[in-house]
Amino acid sequence: MRTTTLLSPKRLRLVGLAAVILVALGAFVSIVLDVQVERLITRGFVTRSLEMATPIALAAIGGLYAEKSGVFNIGLEGFMIFGAFTAAATMFMLGGTSPTQGQLWLAMGVATLISIILTLGFAVLLIRYKADQIVAGLAIWFIALGFAPFTAATIWGSRSSPGLTSINNLAFGQSPMVFFTVIVVAAAWVFLYRTRYGYWIQAAGENPKALDTAGVDVNRVRYATVIFSGAMAGLAGAVLLAHAGNWVGTGDTMVDGRGWIAIVAYLFGNYNPIGAAAAALLFGALDMLNVQFQTVGIEASARLVNLLPYVAVIIVLTVWGKTRMPSKVGEAYETEE
Amino acid sequence: MSTDDRGRLRTLLDRAADWLLDATVLERLAIAVASTLLAIAIGLVIVAAAGFDPIRFASQLLIGAIGSERAILRTLRNSVLFVLAGVAVAVAFRAGVFNIGVQGQFIVGGFATVVSIIWLAAFVPTGAVGGMILLVFGTLVGIVAGGLYGALPGVLKAYGDANEIITTIMLNFIAIGFVGWLVAGPFSDPDATATRTRRLPANVELPQLVFSDPNLSIVGLAVTLVTVVAVAALLTRTSFGYDMVTSGYQAAAATYSGVDAKRMIVLTMTLSGMIAGLTGAVFVIMIQGYFTDPSGIGNYGFDAIAVSLLAANNPIGVLPAGMLFGGLDSAGSHIQINSDVPVQLIDGIVGLVVLFVSAPELFRMTAKRTGLGGDSE
Repeated sequence: MRTTTLLSPKRLRLVGLAAVILVALGAFVSIVLDVQVERLITRGFVTRSLEMATPIALAAIGGLYAEKSGVFNIGLEGFMIFGAFTAAATMFMLGGTSPTQGQLWLAMGVATLISIILTLGFAVLLIRYKADQIVAGLAIWFIALGFAPFTAATIWGSRSSPGLTSINNLAFGQSPMVFFTVIVVAAAWVFLYRTRYGYWIQAAGENPKALDTAGVDVNRVRYATVIFSGAMAGLAGAVLLAHAGNWVGTGDTMVDGRGWIAIVAYLFGNYNPIGAAAAALLFGALDMLNVQFQTVGIEASARLVNLLPYVAVIIVLTVWGKTRMPSKVGEAYETEE
Repeated sequence: MSTDDRGRLRTLLDRAADWLLDATVLERLAIAVASTLLAIAIGLVIVAAAGFDPIRFASQLLIGAIGSERAILRTLRNSVLFVLAGVAVAVAFRAGVFNIGVQGQFIVGGFATVVSIIWLAAFVPTGAVGGMILLVFGTLVGIVAGGLYGALPGVLKAYGDANEIITTIMLNFIAIGFVGWLVAGPFSDPDATATRTRRLPANVELPQLVFSDPNLSIVGLAVTLVTVVAVAALLTRTSFGYDMVTSGYQAAAATYSGVDAKRMIVLTMTLSGMIAGLTGAVFVIMIQGYFTDPSGIGNYGFDAIAVSLLAANNPIGVLPAGMLFGGLDSAGSHIQINSDVPVQLIDGIVGLVVLFVSAPELFRMTAKRTGLGGDSE
């Protein structure tokens, strides 16, 4: 990426908007509620925000790849639910209510694997059978909202699991998945912008015909990215569970809109993995503000503070709505023979 | 462009629309039936895999939906909500606007109805006349509130380019959280043990004719039918409806014939939200009588998406589709009490229906491969 693109008006607007949101929030908190910001932005807050941002960032990277290649995977939320639930169920099968760390890691692997299998079916419906991408993606959400609590109820007799175990911290009191996500984000950037395969992905979304002419199978590229997006969303759900330590299946389940926020994160990041991760961090921080308010002693209804990420998503989408989508998103590609 | 040109373009579009409708109406019916049957079949396999008796489950589905007078009344009562909410979704989807926010608009409308009736009750006489005034006033407030909550994402989409799928989903979360906070805090009933608002006054009640179920009124059914017919007429018989549908299917053609696309998006979302608000008003007046924490309210607005899709977004088709869902939901209530099978299974089956409806090619190709059916499948 050249400096001109690095300093493009869009990017400046993005950074500017993020800064404005943070400053406004800080000003609001310090003036209206009479709290010093440095007491609010503690090391624990940063740790928790990073932890919260991890699943959003992982799912966003997956969704971004699928959309870059021309398939809008609106089912991210659903795959995250499946991932979180599968991880919990696997952990419980392996180690009951006190699984070991090894079993937790294995469970995350199994969750990713199951997500890949489910996404394979989803990808076939989307690409081979040209399903409506929006409707099918919504269906995945509905299916997950039904079958995950259903299976939970058959296993535990209740929609939520008993306490399992959460992941041990690595260095700096930080979850290993945070470091893993940083690596994934960097790798996703390099792969997308610096390798031949990355260009194939971009071409599949922008000009599939040219890619076809160049001898690359467009649909194969799309299968790869959709399956990757499902794997990442499943892993994201598993990571969410590994941080929380138990599965909650009531209401909109423990995923609670994070898959949708992931979509907004990559739109906000303008389809750039690093931008998407930064946006995920912003949403993660908003998500954790609730805990922080309580520790500092601000009297605010937890229920209202919890709505902040959703409000932020709407503001971000409206101010930043004019992202340039890949031109062929949503269209099935047919080879001319 | 001369009026003559415009007329010709319109005739051309008319003919195209007619042809499209005629050619696919049978096929769509077949796809809807096939999707539903396939989803239920998969549901039964899952029931068996989870170690329950699928045949018993299937029979309980039927008994719970239409097995007794009580079950039938319950099915009808649920159907009222699914059909109304389904029409709200259908209006938007027909115009190419993905209003996933019917659930939120339903909640906001229902809550506004309860609050406005309780507020006005202090100023009007008790008795039948006062009750009538409260009923009409509360319903209108519900419709307006739902309409405004729907207009918001419409404005954001039209003038801010914000994807309505995501904004409406976020607004659902916000409606649930915010109304939930209001119900638990400022508007909670101090005398109630459960989290809910005060009850509607006793004179706010729909007349009990024909049905023995206290939560089902002939007026509710009438409102539903009138809404269906009115929306169907609006879409097919008025120029406004025509412009709306054209801007959904043929955006360029609509703009070419002078339709303001941005305004159309806002109007569509407002209309859709108004119908969702009406659904909320009917729900609180006819069924609940107060407002509870919306996170525990039925997923009528979400399932309405499935209802509308199953009906190919046709308001008339929403009637049978909504009744199917009314039956499924009613069966769910029955199963919850009379069976060990967790009731969430029904939500999963609904999701599968939506998934299959989204991929008509699946059925076309399967039909072709197995040599089944002529042009209907």
